[in-house]
Amino acid sequence: MKNATSEYRLEMSGISKSFGVVSVLKDVNLKVKSGEIHALLGENGAGKSTLIKILSGVHQKDTGTVILDGEDITPKNTHEGQVLGINVVYQELSLVNDLSVAENIYLHKLGASKSWMNWKGLIQDAQELLDSLDFKIDASAKVKDLSIVQKQVVEIAKAISEDTKILVLDEPTTVFDPKDVKKLFQILFRLKEQGISIIYISHHLDEIFKIADTVTVLRDGVDTGSMPISKTDKDGVIHLMIGRELKDLYPKRDIKIGEVPIFQVKNLTAKETMVHDVSFNVKPGEVLGIAGLGGSGRTETAKLIFGADKKKSGTLILEGKEIKTNSPVDAAGYQIGFVSEDRKEEGVFLPLSIRRNISVTSFKSISSKLGFINVDNEYKKVLGLIEKLNIKTPNSEVNVKNLSGGNQQKVALAKWLSIDSKVIFIDEPTRGVDVGAKIEIYNLINEVAKKGVGVVVISSDMPEIMGISDRILVMHEGTIYGELQKEQFSEENILRYSIGEPLKQNN
Amino acid sequence: MALTLKQQLSAPGGILKFLVKYNTIFIFILLVIFSALISDVFFTSVNLSNLLKQVSGIGIISIGMLIVILTGGIDLSVGSMVALLAVTFAILVNIFALPLAILMTIVIGFGLGSISGYLVAYQKMAPFVATLALMTIARGLSFIYSKGSPVTFTTVGGQYMSNFANNSTLGIPNIAIVFFIIVICTMVMLRYNVFGRLIIAIGSNEEASRLSGIKVNKYKFLVYAISGALAATAAIIVASRTNLGSPNMGMAWELDAIAAVVIGGASLNGGKGTAINTLMGVLILGLIGNILNLLNVPSYPQQVVKGAIIIFAVLLQRFESK
Repeated sequence: MKNATSEYRLEMSGISKSFGVVSVLKDVNLKVKSGEIHALLGENGAGKSTLIKILSGVHQKDTGTVILDGEDITPKNTHEGQVLGINVVYQELSLVNDLSVAENIYLHKLGASKSWMNWKGLIQDAQELLDSLDFKIDASAKVKDLSIVQKQVVEIAKAISEDTKILVLDEPTTVFDPKDVKKLFQILFRLKEQGISIIYISHHLDEIFKIADTVTVLRDGVDTGSMPISKTDKDGVIHLMIGRELKDLYPKRDIKIGEVPIFQVKNLTAKETMVHDVSFNVKPGEVLGIAGLGGSGRTETAKLIFGADKKKSGTLILEGKEIKTNSPVDAAGYQIGFVSEDRKEEGVFLPLSIRRNISVTSFKSISSKLGFINVDNEYKKVLGLIEKLNIKTPNSEVNVKNLSGGNQQKVALAKWLSIDSKVIFIDEPTRGVDVGAKIEIYNLINEVAKKGVGVVVISSDMPEIMGISDRILVMHEGTIYGELQKEQFSEENILRYSIGEPLKQNN
Repeated sequence: MALTLKQQLSAPGGILKFLVKYNTIFIFILLVIFSALISDVFFTSVNLSNLLKQVSGIGIISIGMLIVILTGGIDLSVGSMVALLAVTFAILVNIFALPLAILMTIVIGFGLGSISGYLVAYQKMAPFVATLALMTIARGLSFIYSKGSPVTFTTVGGQYMSNFANNSTLGIPNIAIVFFIIVICTMVMLRYNVFGRLIIAIGSNEEASRLSGIKVNKYKFLVYAISGALAATAAIIVASRTNLGSPNMGMAWELDAIAAVVIGGASLNGGKGTAINTLMGVLILGLIGNILNLLNVPSYPQQVVKGAIIIFAVLLQRFESK
């Protein structure tokens, strides 16, 4: 099917796809011009990932056509997709930790070329590529020694190291701080000038309006609209995404915050990380935000308190009594909860059912002395939480790996909400979560705080942390650099503290 | 709520899915039908009870292997442990009263397993390496304590045990009853007990388990110790069947146990597997041996067939995960 006159480089039309009985895509169209940045939006579970996976060859479409440069294509696997010039940077990093950056970037070529390696040339090429991206990364370093931001950059380098016509970026900036996001955008603009078509998936609408030329929105497996970005605005896009107007992303809070801190941290210093001299307190009913750049020690602080990392010195005081948390077991025993930022690796049990995921922390309340589980109580508890958290699933026996990111996050939260926590640390509560689920998670956080729990939220998302916190601590180089009261909240103030600058005087 | 059988069958492609989901049971049923068709002797009570007697020992250590594999580990020491503990039991039963000898053997098995457990859980040694070392040590010790030759039961207690191991109750061999009880207990434990739930959680994501406040090390330690205790139980059974404990017992049983667990659909990465499916795996392996014996197939071709069945079973399971 030749169609050389088309103004589009890529035309996906009438794409449908079902997995078993579940229909994921219904007659979806996506048309991308060359040299444009095309935003693909939709809530989690709307079908974005599936559409991309059909394009790249991971999945095969049931019906419809995919035309690339006038050629009808049906890649049967990702390798065929890559040969055709379709490269995808997935949300989940796919790097080999024990290999060097250079080897990772050229991994696809390692097997294909000659039998002997030209290490020097390989590292040189990789270094040039990385330098051109303007991120300081050593091409000969092992990937496992990189930060998560650097890993993401390596992923992008890997994708554009090939002859790319279509570059797909799936939530590339979730781990980036604003400075890095800017750099990434510059890379994208350069690629765009080279005539590469970029499909950009993101939940950050601000980003979309900064860089995209065109936007296509999916909802429940159907495309609800596609238009030049200049013809719409945030509200318009949100309306297309969730099918309703969005008034308040950050729910109003009218919670009485206690006077006496429920939990105090004094001069906490880590043995193995850069966290040092951290002191703060959180009051019952309070949502305390911890902001800071990636690598400033926010997650490490939470893990230190939770007993997952080793402490060197410092005191923790819970309800007026000093406690020691040498392991997560101790912390959980004191009813301190921790929801990890790394949902898949540290948060949920992907191959297990929702029920088994949620009840893992709450066996004390649903089992007898000998450890026999009262299954009726378990179901009651789990089904109650599924309903309360609005986890979208046909039943409690669905494996968590089959849920969308937002629903997986709710399961991770449910694990700690199902027991009565006194303090709960939530690291990046809405990373990779769509707008609709975000609001539900914010409501949930408020509800937990209402019960008198001290909630500590770590987030890189500035509007989010300002929207939900009562008070914000900003970390810089391993310690708390400053504290912001509600009336001082602004992106500028957070950023100033993040980079170790004092606030402007007139504040 | 879990789907009912009827719902599962009536969903599109339901019957196929059902077949794939319960593939081990179907392989087992197919093998039984096949065996019955090609051999007149198969469905005789003598043959069936022989079959059950043959698989009970390996079956019991397979259950231990299952719970170790569920945590993402492996226990290569069980075969040698059977030899060492069989010799131990034969020595003990000749000195002490029967219940005491049984208890002591099981406690020693638990203790030996604890060594692997300690090395894996607290010294962070790779399970393969730690249990490989224990495997050699146990086999060596069994030859040392037996002075290289079988230790025969000489007391009344030993005689009683031997009678028990070779007799049946209601047509079912006693030792198979012991095996089935262990299977049922494990089934209940994995489904309805916190211990079972937690070892599955650990196997499916150890880091998430740790961050959920689970005592990961304790449970990892315990599964090896329990595997040791089950090896002791198996050792008592096999020694009693033959009235002696020999250092040559349990040769390569660890491999058969792993095979049974894998045929039963468990994942060597941990987190997936059930007691009933492991039972099916054990019976399938036993059936193949049995029917090939009835057909007078020599033992070397038998090994080839066994291997082929393992490949076939695991290939079938790949449909399941899609």
